Amino acid sequence: MKRIGYILVVLLLLLLCVNRDLPVAESEAPQTAFAAPQQVVFPPRAKTVTLKGVDYLQSQAPAGKFGGALVMSTIGEGPKTFNPFNTKDATSAALSELMYDGLVTTDPQTGETVPKLAKSYEIKGNDYIMHLRRGIKWSDGKPITADDVVFTWRNIIFDGFGNTSARDSVVIDGKLPTVRKADDYTVIFTTPQPFAPFLRLLAGPIAPKHVFEPAVKKGKAYFETFFSTNANPKNFVTSGPFRMVEYVPAQRVVYERNPDYYIINTENRKLPYLDKVIYLIVGDLNNEVLKFEGGEIDLINLHGANAARFKARERYSDFAMYNLGPDTGTMYMGINQNNRRNEKGEFYVNSKKQKWFRDKNFRQAVDFALDRKNMVLNIANGLAAPLFTPESLNSVFLNKTLKPYGRNLDKSRELLKKSGFYQDGKGRLTDKYGNRVEFDLYTNAGNTEREAIGVMVKQDLEDLGMKVNFKPIEFNSLVNKLVSTLDWDMVIMGLTGSPLEPNGGKNVWLSDGTLHVFNQRLEKDRRSKRLPYEARIDELFKQGALAVKFEDRKKYYDEYQKIVYDEKPFIYIYSPIRIAAMRKKFKNVFPSSLGGLTHNVEEIYAEDGK
Amino acid sequence: MQILLYIFKRILQTIPLLIIVSLISFFIIRLSPVDPLAELKLNPSVSKETLQRETERLGLDKPIIVQYAKWAKSFVRGDLGVTSNGEQVSAKLKERIPNTLLLTVVVIFLTWVTGVPLGIFAAVHWKSKRDRILTVLTSIGMAIPSFFFAVLLLIFAVKTGWFPVGGLTSSDFLEMSFAQKIWDVTHHLILPVAVLFTISLAGLQRQMRGNLLDVLDSDYVKFARAKGLSEFKVIYKHALRNAVNPMITLLGFEFASLLSGAALTEYVFQYPGLGRLILEAVLRSDINLVMASLMIGAVMLILGNLIADILLIITDPRIRRKEV
Repeated sequence: MKRIGYILVVLLLLLLCVNRDLPVAESEAPQTAFAAPQQVVFPPRAKTVTLKGVDYLQSQAPAGKFGGALVMSTIGEGPKTFNPFNTKDATSAALSELMYDGLVTTDPQTGETVPKLAKSYEIKGNDYIMHLRRGIKWSDGKPITADDVVFTWRNIIFDGFGNTSARDSVVIDGKLPTVRKADDYTVIFTTPQPFAPFLRLLAGPIAPKHVFEPAVKKGKAYFETFFSTNANPKNFVTSGPFRMVEYVPAQRVVYERNPDYYIINTENRKLPYLDKVIYLIVGDLNNEVLKFEGGEIDLINLHGANAARFKARERYSDFAMYNLGPDTGTMYMGINQNNRRNEKGEFYVNSKKQKWFRDKNFRQAVDFALDRKNMVLNIANGLAAPLFTPESLNSVFLNKTLKPYGRNLDKSRELLKKSGFYQDGKGRLTDKYGNRVEFDLYTNAGNTEREAIGVMVKQDLEDLGMKVNFKPIEFNSLVNKLVSTLDWDMVIMGLTGSPLEPNGGKNVWLSDGTLHVFNQRLEKDRRSKRLPYEARIDELFKQGALAVKFEDRKKYYDEYQKIVYDEKPFIYIYSPIRIAAMRKKFKNVFPSSLGGLTHNVEEIYAEDGK
Repeated sequence: MQILLYIFKRILQTIPLLIIVSLISFFIIRLSPVDPLAELKLNPSVSKETLQRETERLGLDKPIIVQYAKWAKSFVRGDLGVTSNGEQVSAKLKERIPNTLLLTVVVIFLTWVTGVPLGIFAAVHWKSKRDRILTVLTSIGMAIPSFFFAVLLLIFAVKTGWFPVGGLTSSDFLEMSFAQKIWDVTHHLILPVAVLFTISLAGLQRQMRGNLLDVLDSDYVKFARAKGLSEFKVIYKHALRNAVNPMITLLGFEFASLLSGAALTEYVFQYPGLGRLILEAVLRSDINLVMASLMIGAVMLILGNLIADILLIITDPRIRRKEV
């Protein structure tokens, strides 16, 4: 009797806990709460004003209060270098970007390329003429001139110092552009042939020549260690709104305002408003959420269930939530269309499966059988949008004529019938040679989102009578399968793209690309036959990069999206929606799907000045 | 002199041991399916040339045995090599070791200072109410998983706001006065220390209690009591000296855990120590960093045992006669 009493007490206590953790408002469906990105009124674009011979950039955002600090976070190990030319990971890139401005930048509202460190630019044929601001300075007081720009591009990037991906992306048909100084404040870049993505690549950081030149002279090996995380931040000479003052490994990076920044407010006072920007280095998502709840950080990106939980509390809290629209990430299912053999003369993909996977009707049938809406609701908590194209939904190149559609099993069955598939007496799908349709579906184990998608895909396809063996495997093994051993049937993966530049996807879409996983060609298969649609996409990417006018480029990229939409080498599933929360005391926050919340960090101010 | 010879012999014995440990660890890491370049391979903006260069830089294009030889050669010279990001492993370790030491030394000090007396207390008051209460408390301490306890305390910190949510220093640490700095670090240390303290205190207290009880039951203690020695003398002069031997061995193990014992707690509390560094290194198969930490672990364990043995020789004449 006594024991039952204890158990009851414990149960009662547990019940109380459960009740406290489930706010009543949670029943409100999250997908309606985040119906559409809020309307944001952007201030007019910043303009150049010349005061006492200095070409300042004047922000048009409302004038605010000076002082205060913004604390953000970065998940993982923290930065690996503070040299913006050596960065290989997103964290290091973001942390060094805060210190170095580029010649141009992307307008967060329209996605256009607008001048930043440059006062203005002109494009004449293959010449990109950059006019620099007069009188603006590095943080050590030396002027920023054409020499710095030429040095950065010629001696660091074109000569292959640091991370060479910047160089790789400007190589056109094996040739590099050239750069020369016309006068102290004018630089001319010339590309060997028209190359549209070039202008946007000029957004890369510019290095102070007087600081970087000695390092470059010491060679590439030395450059790799230049401004590493052990460097003394006092030696950093920067051009950005903030400069680093302290890096504490595994804890934080602290920046203070650059007192001599070239952006001013409408009252002609030098920005940024904030005294400090701090990035806390946190190990994982859960810790980040705890730190936000504990008030230690001011800004957080939220996912799935956490987003719903915070939304329910938003009304009573000191933070506001922002819907930043669809992410640049895409979740897709790839189908292996490889019909080649490995060194031992065996097919990478079983020959009977090849007949299915290389059959467009089969791939479309699989596509029509997927219930994307259901996946969005159940896996992404409604915080995602169904996806049908390789370009992400916020891309300026998105082909809007490609209409979304729902699940349609009848259509799937019809398509399968057309290719001779039939269901036997027990409902099992069989091809025209009598082979049972059975294949493996892989994803990386540990990624709960992809695993959940896998389970739902399996269920959806089993409605057609297919037998799907869903196998989440370790990430490294999966990558090995995808790019080296090529022995997989279907896979669920995600990729991030650029909403501004489809050419960044060339490694995926060009038929000899390193990530052309759906029909990967290893070194020895370089010359193997291209599928007709692969050849067409190759051509479209080439043309798309050569064309300069947006309208012309859009035509090529529209066609490539249409081909993927029809041929289904990848079946796109959904694109997550980005939700972020930020303390309300920060003003001049203009959320944008392209720039996030802190694209204008110099304009953001804290209402209380703290 | 004899003792020096003994130490020398012991040190010689560790050499083959270290070679075996390093061989096994190296091969396990390299033969596991973890590909240090997997992330890069899936990044669409990374070119083939970059991948090729990375492979060469990390030495992945050579056979494992050559990689091992290369590693061993520089290790013997005292060079721990560079991490996969090109930073010096020794510099990386130097950043973290003081933090971990701070945490573990505080914990070990606190547990020994409270654990041993509590153990004696419980043994002396065997089967009394106070002993029972201590038994219940230490059982709870032993039963609670450190990971879970750490998470609970972290949630407590968030809900009450009394403690910082992980880390070691506040973001405005640089501008604090010296006293403020000390308080700030202490404030951050309280929760992780509480977790580790609760867990290890339980074991230590039980051990001490058990040892002393064993000894108290022996004939010579009975004899000492019978001949009329004061209870104080019986326990603290005769019994305790004999009960302390296993504790010294334990102390040797504690020494080994100085640098590696708190990884899980460090991870939960985002404590900038070695544990977190090494966990991240393992996940990315950063061979030099992982090897360095494994070797540190092995050396510390061997060293800890050696110190314990030497202490035993000093405290216990019986061992002195046998070993040396």
